[in-house]
Amino acid sequence: MIKPVAYFKPGSLKEAVEALQTENAWPLAGGTDLLVNMRNGVEHPDLLVDIKGLEELNVFEVDGKIIIGGNINLNFIIDDARLRKVCPVLGQSALTVATYQLRNRATLVGNICNASPAADMAPALYVMEAEVVVSGPQGERHVPINEFITGVKKTSLKKGEVVLRVEIPNPKVGKTAFLKKQRYRGHDLATVNVAGIANPDTGTLRVCIGACAVTPVLLKGTDELYKSIKDVDELADKVSELALQSISPIDDVRSSAEYRRDMTAVYVKRLVRTICS
Amino acid sequence: MKEYTKELNITVKVNGREYHESVPANMTLLQFLRNKLLLTGTKEGCGIGECGACTVVMNGKTVTSCLVLAAEADGAEIRTIEGEAKGEKLTALQESFIKYHGEQCGFCTPGMIMSAQNLLDRNPKPTREEIVEAISGNLCRCTGYEPIIKAIEAVAEKGNR
Repeated sequence: MIKPVAYFKPGSLKEAVEALQTENAWPLAGGTDLLVNMRNGVEHPDLLVDIKGLEELNVFEVDGKIIIGGNINLNFIIDDARLRKVCPVLGQSALTVATYQLRNRATLVGNICNASPAADMAPALYVMEAEVVVSGPQGERHVPINEFITGVKKTSLKKGEVVLRVEIPNPKVGKTAFLKKQRYRGHDLATVNVAGIANPDTGTLRVCIGACAVTPVLLKGTDELYKSIKDVDELADKVSELALQSISPIDDVRSSAEYRRDMTAVYVKRLVRTICS
Repeated sequence: MKEYTKELNITVKVNGREYHESVPANMTLLQFLRNKLLLTGTKEGCGIGECGACTVVMNGKTVTSCLVLAAEADGAEIRTIEGEAKGEKLTALQESFIKYHGEQCGFCTPGMIMSAQNLLDRNPKPTREEIVEAISGNLCRCTGYEPIIKAIEAVAEKGNR
């Protein structure tokens, strides 16, 4: 059972920010993580601030930069034909999150605010260099995604703040892919998930690995490898070596650390071969 | 400081009928349907959004009603299994579930019907793959899914409803 809690659905951002400054207030969007955590006694909010009535969070734009509001659910991201064309990696990632019914509620912003190391939307947002736009008592601020997620279930959100939207300022940047290792076919959390982008014109290669450290890990030094190594198999090997030096996986219910390392090598190589050839 | 309330008045349309009720903020839509409206066709399985037994259609979209608060459903239109048959007349999908033995113990069936009917409503001729994806959030421990998929396929071939 969910413990008694107060509920408020603000009609304006100002009201929302005010409500979120009260003791133990939580924003409620899709609720697919929060309500489960409340039911399981992991979280005990005193006030739920239902942000689904806020216009500012319903924005969705694909022309020029990509803008995804805090209320945009994952099925919307999967189904939007323009987004699928401009930035297919978001839909590919979203399709692996939970089930159809949950994706009708679960939002992209909620996935990153929940800040699970295994968040399936995070690696794509890292390689797309997304920015998180936050509103709070001190006004609005833009936070790069890799500074927004700070640890296991931790973000840089401060008291009273709410995420308005995620922006991808420069989406047209190359060939992308998202790959996910899970325990069984069907719906499962990631043992390892990887996303990447490669652009031969600019010599850019970005690879991000999820579920193998306290936050997703964006590899450093991939551009240099991409520019200097022409053979794709050799490149895949080198990026995979770099990945293994960069991650710090743990043993948990889904996998041993050793298996995560092995799968990281396999999936990073597969990813590099996919986007670099 | 503003006072925030733990009890709310909501207006919800369920299977075409409008209800005005006072609900505690911690009440789920599932509890509201079952305990307040006594519409017990919708089942609670896991209570954490994994099994799909509590699937209902909210504003045209399937949701797990255990992970929606009744308060969030204020102003919404809900469809549950009770709204499918018209009196004694079952829908084509319900008839097909009977014909192909799409249910055994029956516990997953209301949610399964809601997911499958919602699929057929938005995509009258789904492929097998699309059927499997559409019901992937509805666990069934009896049938092994094949009879359910066959029942949905049969309706898709003959035309919905």
